[in-house]
Amino acid sequence: MKHLPILDACALSIFMQSAVDARGIVKVYEGKVRALAGVDLQVGSENVFALLGPNGSGKTTLMRILTTQMPPTEGRALVMGHDTVRGGAGIRRIVGYVPQEMSVWTDITGYENMLIYAKIYGIPCESRRRLINEALDGIGLSEVADKLVRSYSGGMIRRLEIASALLISPKILFLDEPTIGLDPMARKVVWEKLSSFKREFGTTVFFNTHYMDEADLYADEIGIISRGRIIRTGTVAELKRSVGGDVLLLELEPGGIGSPLLERLRAVESVKGVALGESELRVIADDAETALPGVMRLLDGSGILVRKVSMSAPTLDDVFLKYAGTRLESNSRIADIAKVRQTIRRG
Amino acid sequence: MTPLRDVVVMVELELRRIRHDRAELYTRAVQPVLWLVVFGPVMGALRAIPTGGIPYTDFITPGIIVQSMAFISIFFGLTVIWERESGILKKLLVTPLPRSSIVIGRSMSSGVRSTFQMLIIVPIAMLIGVRIIPNPLYFLGALAIIFLASGGFAAISVFIASIMKSRERFMGIGQAIIMPLFFASNALYPVEMMPPILKALSSVNPLSYIVDAVRSLLITGDLAQLPMDIVAIAIFDIAMFIIASISFKRIIK
Repeated sequence: MKHLPILDACALSIFMQSAVDARGIVKVYEGKVRALAGVDLQVGSENVFALLGPNGSGKTTLMRILTTQMPPTEGRALVMGHDTVRGGAGIRRIVGYVPQEMSVWTDITGYENMLIYAKIYGIPCESRRRLINEALDGIGLSEVADKLVRSYSGGMIRRLEIASALLISPKILFLDEPTIGLDPMARKVVWEKLSSFKREFGTTVFFNTHYMDEADLYADEIGIISRGRIIRTGTVAELKRSVGGDVLLLELEPGGIGSPLLERLRAVESVKGVALGESELRVIADDAETALPGVMRLLDGSGILVRKVSMSAPTLDDVFLKYAGTRLESNSRIADIAKVRQTIRRG
Repeated sequence: MTPLRDVVVMVELELRRIRHDRAELYTRAVQPVLWLVVFGPVMGALRAIPTGGIPYTDFITPGIIVQSMAFISIFFGLTVIWERESGILKKLLVTPLPRSSIVIGRSMSSGVRSTFQMLIIVPIAMLIGVRIIPNPLYFLGALAIIFLASGGFAAISVFIASIMKSRERFMGIGQAIIMPLFFASNALYPVEMMPPILKALSSVNPLSYIVDAVRSLLITGDLAQLPMDIVAIAIFDIAMFIIASISFKRIIK
């Protein structure tokens, strides 16, 4: 130990209560589908934590267990020190939660939605109106507060949902894909509001996402989940550093690369991982300069035309590629569109 | 009394929804009005059914109100299915509301719609000459019966929703439950007219007790059976709330 323990961030975190402490969480649906296969996860309090993984990796199941909606099949989890099974009532009083699907009534106004939730939480009559107006104002919805939610845009609905989750000034906020289906501008607005709320109240934010850029920009710490297991956790910088080396990006004429060739590329000196996109090849290498000649030779030999080569530092996608063995972005677009439809459809 | 407060909040939610969109109230009134305006007078003209000296349309008016209540409530599960498909139910589960309060609260919301339905049907019945007992207390009593009974049927509907997860199947099952209950009740004819088997079934048919209670309060004024009717309705409600609360676990999976 080179530094003084008192100054060590890790040492300090031992003294702070974990916001989430999950051990050995297994969830099997209807005795068949194994959604979670033993999740161990600790999230420090007052952190912004992103659980990053593709659709179907178990993110939502884990969040539903942590928010006491259902018990795990095995293992146990503590949220702010309360057991999710036995201490569920204690957790429900202090968490804010925004599910992935739309969770407001569209046939009443934004203000009325907030009013119903204020009453559910038992916020006393005299402070109700003030708290609701503050929350709506803070998230930029006061002008449309008295309009039917049906007339809101997707971004406005998301902000209303977040406002209602913030109404009780939660100790921890769970957001399941908070910006899914939103345009970049609306995503930015949502995150600005969340960040400022977090700064003001020191709330722990735990969010699920399959957008790397979102995890990259807003999370203090990231957990990578794949096939029901947390594969790796750490800060963004730590994770990127752990990939090591460089990323070569080769723009190709489309088509022509088969898996035998990919295998041969993986065997090239210094290459650690290879992923094929629609018209680009990503090669993670310890040292790009060593790997490049070998890669080029193989591609040339197979008659594949390389249009452009560029080099970059690893992104979270590369982190994901390294630890989960698949790419994060490629398989999520279609599912994304389906989710957007689900958000738009207003029963 | 937190559980009561929870139910009141859910009822308030339903009132607010109705305030913003009244169209459904009117379209749902079409069917009961047809029964009153067409079926009642035609069957009444036959004079085939002994109603104890009451005009036939008057006799069936409570039955029509109760049928309308039962349909509204049994299809309330569709709202619950929608709330499950959207994130509303998930969100409610993560509030301090106990699960039983969610079930009972959502069920009693259908009572709001049913009482509004009654407020539409009764004036129309009076217009076509049905004589309603002019006692506001009796009328309020009938409204309360409809409100409470509605909760029991909505709870059945929550139970069905937990088994049938698609809307289409749900619609079929809803019809298949209410129509037999309706025809095997005293809504359209006195129980005495029925074959013995149906008569026996009628004594465990919640609709018969509800119709009897509403008929005594709106039409006959004979309250002798009312306490027993209320006990039967209370047992029905409580039993259905318990079943729905247990099955609710399945809905949220």
